[in-house]
Amino acid sequence: MASRIAERFEHYRSRNEDAALVLLAVTALSLVAAFVLFYQQSRWTVVPVASFLLLTVVGWVRYQATIARGLTFVMTVATVAVLGLIVAFLVVRAWPAFDQMGLEALYRTEEPLWKPAKTTPWSLAPMIVGTMVTTAIATAVAAPVGIAGALYISEIASDTTREVVKPGIELMAGIPSITYGFIGFVIVNRFFYEEFQTSTIGNYFTVGAMIGIMALPTIVSVAEDALSTVPEAMKSGALAVGTTNWQTMKSVTLPSAFSGVSAAVLLGVGRAMGETMAATVMIPHTKGFADPVYDVFGGVGETLTTVIAFEGGNATGRHIEGLFAAGVVLFLMVLVLSVTAQVIQARMRSKYGGDR
Amino acid sequence: MSTVTRNALVSTETTLREYVSTGVMALGAVLFLASWAVLFQWVGESTPVLGVAVFTLFGVLLLAMAVGIAGVGVAARLGRVSASPSASAGLVVGVLFGGIGFVTGGLVASQTLGMGAVGWLAVALAVGVAVAALAVVPREDVGSTFPPALFLAFVGALLVTGTLGLGWSWSPDGVSATFVGSVMVPVLTVAGSLVGSWSAAKARAGFGTQGREGGAFYLIRLSVFGMLGVLALLVGFIVKNGLETALTRAQFGLGGHVGLPGSILGVTLPNWSVPFVDVQVPFVTNVSQSLFVEVPGLAPAILGTLWLVVGAMLFAIPLGLAAAIFLAEYTESRLFRQLVEIATNGLWSTPSIVFGLFGLAFLVPRFGGGKSLLSGQLVLGFMLLPLVVITSYESIKAVPDEYRDASAALGVTQWQTIKSAVLPAAMPGVITGVILGVGRIAGETAPLLLVYGGPPFSSQNPSVLSSFQFTSAPPFVSNTALMDAGSALPYQLYTSITSGRLPGQGAPFSVQEFGWGTALVLLVVVLGLYAFGIAGRIYFRRKLYNE
Amino acid sequence: MSNADTTPQRQDAQATETTTGETVETVRDEWADYDFDGEPMVAVEDVNVHYGDDHALKDVSMDIPEESVTALIGPSGCGKSTFLRCLNRMNDRITSARIDGSVAVDGEEIYQDGVDLVELRKRVGMVFQAPNPFPKSIRENISYGPRKHGDIDTSLLSRLLGRDDTEAEEALVEQCLRDAALYEEVADRLDDNALGLSGGQQQRLCIARALAVDPDVLLMDEPASALDPIATAKIEDLIEELAEDYTVVVVTHNMQQAARISDQTAVFLTGGELVEYGDTDQIFEDPESQRVEDYITGKFG
Repeated sequence: MASRIAERFEHYRSRNEDAALVLLAVTALSLVAAFVLFYQQSRWTVVPVASFLLLTVVGWVRYQATIARGLTFVMTVATVAVLGLIVAFLVVRAWPAFDQMGLEALYRTEEPLWKPAKTTPWSLAPMIVGTMVTTAIATAVAAPVGIAGALYISEIASDTTREVVKPGIELMAGIPSITYGFIGFVIVNRFFYEEFQTSTIGNYFTVGAMIGIMALPTIVSVAEDALSTVPEAMKSGALAVGTTNWQTMKSVTLPSAFSGVSAAVLLGVGRAMGETMAATVMIPHTKGFADPVYDVFGGVGETLTTVIAFEGGNATGRHIEGLFAAGVVLFLMVLVLSVTAQVIQARMRSKYGGDR
Repeated sequence: MSTVTRNALVSTETTLREYVSTGVMALGAVLFLASWAVLFQWVGESTPVLGVAVFTLFGVLLLAMAVGIAGVGVAARLGRVSASPSASAGLVVGVLFGGIGFVTGGLVASQTLGMGAVGWLAVALAVGVAVAALAVVPREDVGSTFPPALFLAFVGALLVTGTLGLGWSWSPDGVSATFVGSVMVPVLTVAGSLVGSWSAAKARAGFGTQGREGGAFYLIRLSVFGMLGVLALLVGFIVKNGLETALTRAQFGLGGHVGLPGSILGVTLPNWSVPFVDVQVPFVTNVSQSLFVEVPGLAPAILGTLWLVVGAMLFAIPLGLAAAIFLAEYTESRLFRQLVEIATNGLWSTPSIVFGLFGLAFLVPRFGGGKSLLSGQLVLGFMLLPLVVITSYESIKAVPDEYRDASAALGVTQWQTIKSAVLPAAMPGVITGVILGVGRIAGETAPLLLVYGGPPFSSQNPSVLSSFQFTSAPPFVSNTALMDAGSALPYQLYTSITSGRLPGQGAPFSVQEFGWGTALVLLVVVLGLYAFGIAGRIYFRRKLYNE
Repeated sequence: MSNADTTPQRQDAQATETTTGETVETVRDEWADYDFDGEPMVAVEDVNVHYGDDHALKDVSMDIPEESVTALIGPSGCGKSTFLRCLNRMNDRITSARIDGSVAVDGEEIYQDGVDLVELRKRVGMVFQAPNPFPKSIRENISYGPRKHGDIDTSLLSRLLGRDDTEAEEALVEQCLRDAALYEEVADRLDDNALGLSGGQQQRLCIARALAVDPDVLLMDEPASALDPIATAKIEDLIEELAEDYTVVVVTHNMQQAARISDQTAVFLTGGELVEYGDTDQIFEDPESQRVEDYITGKFG
């Protein structure tokens, strides 16, 4: 192992001037030093930053190829490092909160539920339930409609119609979350409060429906990609035997693209789970459990994302540490979903990759 | 072969069946749109239409649809109209209508007849099984028309007789909501029109396999129509409500001037100005709160968004592009590439609020402990980074190998090839990816709440360029504007929701109207960027495939 | 049985000069006439196909007799596959395609309003160049057509009501596999995934699948071009057997194959023109058109 690294290094060294390698090493060290000093909150951080920029310029002028390759490598490592930093800082800041409550923070249902303090117990359970309920409602709305939309774009629409509908749905993805939230707050919540006489303005039902609408474009785009990879030859084979378009979709196209479509739904669910702003302005921010559990119109409403967004701006001490704990739970939940979806997509790509 | 039945190859006449089915679908469409109009309160519930109350009219039309559907079913069964039905409507249809029957039976039994739990359960089961049998046992032309017709006739009768009307209400025990007639009538009408139109679509295509295709395609087309309808409504509401606010005290004329900024980086510029069209839109150019300002404006928010985006781009583009170049051109290790791919995908799927938490934990303590523009820029940069990496990587990968081979065959080094052959070809894709990414982060609010958001209504614009100063002690350069908290367009929209009222007195509109105007400006900015990016992507993709 | 009404003359006597000074052969309509006893199974008249601006098929007319093998030969890109796809309206799938003219199958015009495409494709089946079995079992591949048409019902509901067609399905599967000369090889593994078969077996499975809906006409688009010589030979033998019960139209770029298996041959040359159509022996030994002779003897194309 060590000999392979040495071999690689010698190989690399033979193709680049030694001066260039030294310059590259110093440049990289400047960057590391800058990071370390920044981490220490030192006022001298600007020195290695300046030296990094200066050395980069010098290297660019003089040894461009070496610097280019080296720098791009460093930047790649930095990208991975960002994710590592996020996980690290999140866990570190959340640790005192988890230390206080342990795993009980995930399932405690007795009062007091909130807010976290050094001397009182608290629980993330209401928020976890809230996230799950809103995500479930969102999925029930988004999955069938989204798959239908993907089928339409991929199989049914004529060329001209597709040119209009596909960008239209992508444009839906571009509308900011807060805009959906504003409409939800001003129009939807008011409507439901007045017409259905719910006990609070905003409830899991309206929030879930709104999030579902927001998750639609994700499901449509990814599912449509999956459906369009099904080889035309297979569809032709079915049609030539006299089946209708719909039968072909149901019995040949959808089963073939099944993994891709499931990945699409999982990604949509992940998007719904991580949705913050629309939920934050629509939800009543009361912590508790609906009684009975299926009462989605009930007077409680808080999810993992909304509690962080609503209270994070001004929280301190154990309170903010509790919010960090919520962040960790949320991050894990979304990560599991997204990794599953990516694994499915990768498997599908390797199965059909050659047929594109 | 004995297993194959032969049907007619050509059926020439457009039959009565098709006309009646199309008529039913047209009625369904009218009812669908009218019900939504009532729900949106564009049409009043009590205004008489054609001399009849609206809800009664709904009932009549539903009954007409029921008659039409049942008529077609009977005519097909008796062989009076041509169709090619299957032997049965199928288990799925049976279960669905059985379910509808179950729910309806249960509701009527428990609410209207007041039966106890055992009573209404028995009634519900009986009705459900009966309807399911009606759907499944007879031939398809009867099985897929009679149950829907029954449902529509039932709802129609309820509406016509006024049993279900304006005065009706129901508060079920386990649910904290009350269902009132003025909402449930349109909702049931929508449901009825959907069921009826689906059945008519099936009938129109002649039942059988093509009938099922017709029904399925109707539902799919409706879903797409719904999605686009929601989009249109959203944009329409914002434009309609926001335009008036945005154009408050606006003036358009000729004969104006545009002046250059007073100073950049501490260097004073001469007092030049260029003749220009005189366009004054106070809503866009004023600060949000000031004694000297009549119309609270969005300038601090617009400039804040601008600086956030610029800062994020300065951070993410060099970093992301460099990483993409290394992944696509330099590295041979599949393991390394997979590792980076996992990390990038992980970054991309991280919720925005988690980025905010990270900024709060990592950046804020190191920038003086308070919220700052620089923290906001960096956090948005972190969010932009995976998008840049992914789209740049794909754009570079899409450059055909011929470019690289031709360059290498001329003896050009790898870096030279990348710089002069690969990157220019990949640039369009990279640029469109960046534009789409910028469109996304320009609309982000959640992280800003934790690391940047300042007072709800800002009284000054961020002046980043003119705030640079050199100091004698480390860090030798400082910029107060970068270290201030401030506002951004999406953040401004958020504060307009959470603030009860606008600051000061005498503003020409309410805080909600201010919000609509902000939503409009935000929409224009973000959708403009997105449209630009999507159009660019289509244009370049077309160019690539035509080559 | 070629038409002896007009005496065909050689190209030298028919040569015309174009404006550029080249001599171009005038295609005579009689060359495409082919007389035979009985009614044609497929009657094509003046069919023109445009893909956008591209005129892919020009004024093609031919009558195809029943229960025989008709080969369509010619260089690549001259419209043979396009012509084939006109016969079961698979060209409808291509949005830029415009088809004019008349095609009648068993006396009924298929390009008119009110034609049931499902029914048409039951009667005119198609086998494609690359085998395309569904990712299902062998049995499910073959019974796919009848299942989807509702002729075979083995759903849960039908089994509950006691009117399922499981035995009929078994009989159908066995019959079709025998007709496609595949039964012996797969009889013991009908539930295995069809994608596990060899290329030649997959193609015969696709033929069996097409036969399962009891077509009158079987269209085959270069059915053996993706297969090895042994598998090709099996397909060729199969085609000759099938011609006893079905009207087979085969597109091939392999002239020896056409000469071996077909009863009559139609020659398409560049530009989407049907140049000559007649008895296979006559086309290959003594064609009327000089261009056809050049093509067959290998001078061009």
